[in-house]
Amino acid sequence: MRLLPACSLAMGLTLASLAAFASNTGTVREMLMSVTVTSRLGGDTTRPLTTQNAFSFQAPNSARQHQRDFSFGNRLFNTNWVEAPGSVKAFDGLGPLFNRVSCAGCHTKDGRGRPPESGLGPMDSMLLRLSVPGTDSHGEPKPVPGYGDQLSERGIRDVPPEGVVRIEYSDVHGRYGDGEAFVLRKPQVRIESPAYGPLPADLMMSARVAPHMIGLGLLEAVPDATLHALADPEDSDGDGISGTLNRVWDTAAQRMANGRFGWKAGQPDLFNQNAGAAFGDIGLTSQQHAVDNCNAVQTACKAAFVPPEPDIDYRFMSKLTLYTQTLAVPAQRNASDPQVTRGAGIFRDVGCASCHLPSLQTGEAKLRELAQQTFHPYTDLLLHDMGENLADNRPEFLASGREWRTPPLWGLGLVPLVNGHGFLLHDGRARGFAEAILWHGGEAEPAKEGFRLLSRPDREALISFLQSL
Amino acid sequence: MAKTFKTWTTLGVALIGTAQLSHGAPSAKLPAFTNPAFILSDGEGGEGGSDAITSYKLGNTQSSAYDYDAKGQVAAYAKLVHTSYADAKEAADRMASAIDDLLKAPQPETLAAARAAWIAARPAYLKTEVFRFYDGPIEAIEGEINAWPMNEAYIDYVADKPDAGLISTGRDALTGSVLTGLNQKSDEADVTTGWHAIEFLLWGQDLSAEGPGNRPYTDYTPGTGNNDRRRAYLKAVTEKLVGDLQSLEQAWAPSVAGNYRDTFEKLEQREALGRMVNGMAILAGFEFMSERLAVALDSGDQEDEHSCFSDTTKQDFVYDLEGIRRVWTEAKLLDLVASRDPDLAKDVDRLLANAESKIAALGDPWDQVLRADASSPERKAAEEAVASLQGLADGLKKVGSNLGLLVLIPSG
Repeated sequence: MRLLPACSLAMGLTLASLAAFASNTGTVREMLMSVTVTSRLGGDTTRPLTTQNAFSFQAPNSARQHQRDFSFGNRLFNTNWVEAPGSVKAFDGLGPLFNRVSCAGCHTKDGRGRPPESGLGPMDSMLLRLSVPGTDSHGEPKPVPGYGDQLSERGIRDVPPEGVVRIEYSDVHGRYGDGEAFVLRKPQVRIESPAYGPLPADLMMSARVAPHMIGLGLLEAVPDATLHALADPEDSDGDGISGTLNRVWDTAAQRMANGRFGWKAGQPDLFNQNAGAAFGDIGLTSQQHAVDNCNAVQTACKAAFVPPEPDIDYRFMSKLTLYTQTLAVPAQRNASDPQVTRGAGIFRDVGCASCHLPSLQTGEAKLRELAQQTFHPYTDLLLHDMGENLADNRPEFLASGREWRTPPLWGLGLVPLVNGHGFLLHDGRARGFAEAILWHGGEAEPAKEGFRLLSRPDREALISFLQSL
Repeated sequence: MAKTFKTWTTLGVALIGTAQLSHGAPSAKLPAFTNPAFILSDGEGGEGGSDAITSYKLGNTQSSAYDYDAKGQVAAYAKLVHTSYADAKEAADRMASAIDDLLKAPQPETLAAARAAWIAARPAYLKTEVFRFYDGPIEAIEGEINAWPMNEAYIDYVADKPDAGLISTGRDALTGSVLTGLNQKSDEADVTTGWHAIEFLLWGQDLSAEGPGNRPYTDYTPGTGNNDRRRAYLKAVTEKLVGDLQSLEQAWAPSVAGNYRDTFEKLEQREALGRMVNGMAILAGFEFMSERLAVALDSGDQEDEHSCFSDTTKQDFVYDLEGIRRVWTEAKLLDLVASRDPDLAKDVDRLLANAESKIAALGDPWDQVLRADASSPERKAAEEAVASLQGLADGLKKVGSNLGLLVLIPSG
């Protein structure tokens, strides 16, 4: 049912109009689909950025005090934390176990991580989540005895790393509808030299690259009502696309909340995401994570831990969070190029836009610069079954082993320039857009097949469009 | 290892990329948007609708809006950049010879003379920092010349870690090319080369609340401990710095076909002016105001300062600002703006003078300011300096609007 004419209302949509239709999944989706998509992918937070630092600028509409806090957050993001006690006390507290010594270590230039070149860890911009079957007290994955929920491939002096990852690839052959052959590479992940006892037979692993950092504050400011309205866990509208909103543990507020961030939407907001990453990836304690990141058997880790003050206090964490909330979104390039506009049409026709929803809107926001924005992330922030081939078989709260959160597509065309690579998907297995699409399955199987059966010029147009984002 | 490459498009806009050279990885070719167009309704925008326009030109519906002649400015700027790098190279030469004297005869006097030569060499380089923040030749090697902050324990021993650093533990010969290869290899702070590496090698860690670092001259006595490796290290990074500054001087030398100056002088004038003004605005409004002043004030950590080993950070501030002043006056931007909007020219001149007086009023050494109570007069003066640079950056944005230039400052 289409209640409203498509384009005339498009630019005038407000939260109020959204909320009025929030009870009707089809309507909210249709309204968002009818929004005119412009090259200002981040609304008023958009900047015309095309250099290697394209992901590192602040939204141009930021308030003065936010500019100052952004600069400090940027400093924190780029700080190479050192083992305590260090000569610069404000920035010590690394480890004892860790993946990298800074946020920017993985999110290089606020960009995207990649699998290690040789396949052998320690990984530089990627990590491996671990668990055993079952759930912990709040429904989160059950940690692995002796190892926790994440493999730490590095440790400070005298603290042995937990192990090292080796990723091996095998070829998967296929053909496009026109007969052209393609080869995908399927990763096989294993842990070598486990240092804290044998790994359990039922170990579950999920390898994940660091995502790029742009526009996250906008995604955070999308009202819950919108996400509820978009969700369709039972596919009651029968379009073959379900879409589940994850329910996760909010460590800061000590309650359940909707999941938005992370490859399986396992974190409710950026404050939690940042505190979790600072703790899990760098070993920095905070109000939310006040204990060491060691496991019971890790005696050297326990012994090396310097307890008293949090390594990163609430004030610092808030500025770090503001930084992650206000990174500008680069404008779309070549938006008027006929090849790009044709590709945008194919993107919708093939069905990509069902989950990679072109437009979302924010409502009220704590940061004024993020409020009432219409923007174009190409995600619905929901979990979707992506089929057996992409499954990590490691559930996370409501996300099954086959489900992933739709990742935003904005900025992906700039990753080769910013980060010097074009690896895509959660574990970086895809060597470019075409392979990433060809890995889609499950709910995305029809869209994937639609792409596979396109003519070569049409496939190229679609990819030109993705590169323009 | 990451390799930085640079490609010139037909319009002279460089896209600098870092490509992982590897087998089986996606090819590191540049993406297809070397001529980006922006269709932005207002604010920072390129020229709407056309795919042929790049970076620094602002759009305007009036075709005559930016009809002015800036040949004199572009020429004066190119000359200024060249003489500035030539001065920096000569100053570094004098430092290198003082360091040679130290290595020949390590004594308290020769160490003191080497330190004095480092301090004396810095201003000439700092005055070139205003030539950063666009696609100039400095961008490719700035990280090897002036990288900061640095993890000094990556180079040499520090308090409580007598065996730290490449000097203590490394097995590779410490040559310029080896050290360059290791610079910022796995982490940005793992700096091995440049001014601050030399500074650390001359002063050592600043462990004193009152004065600078105090490395003993006996660290350079040949034949004991790790001294020979330290001597080789200091020699190698000093030679590298001199060489790097010379390469910058060459890139801006007049009448050399195909060097950066040649390309720069052939740019459309607004593309050249855009680079000039962005260098000034980003130095004033981001690198200097935010990264070096405000961030340090907000962390409140005494050693969160640019030249922490020698305690000469205030000198850095003064000469960074002098660099901005020189582009404004010696490259005659002032005259150009005055011919189009006399009030704006006066405003920017006043904002620059205001920043100069606020920076001059800063406490010295800077780490004492960082240590001071948040409500102290030192802190108050520092906040006024921050505000003055903010004002200057805002003024330079207006200069950009007046001249039809896109000015992009990273924070806001």
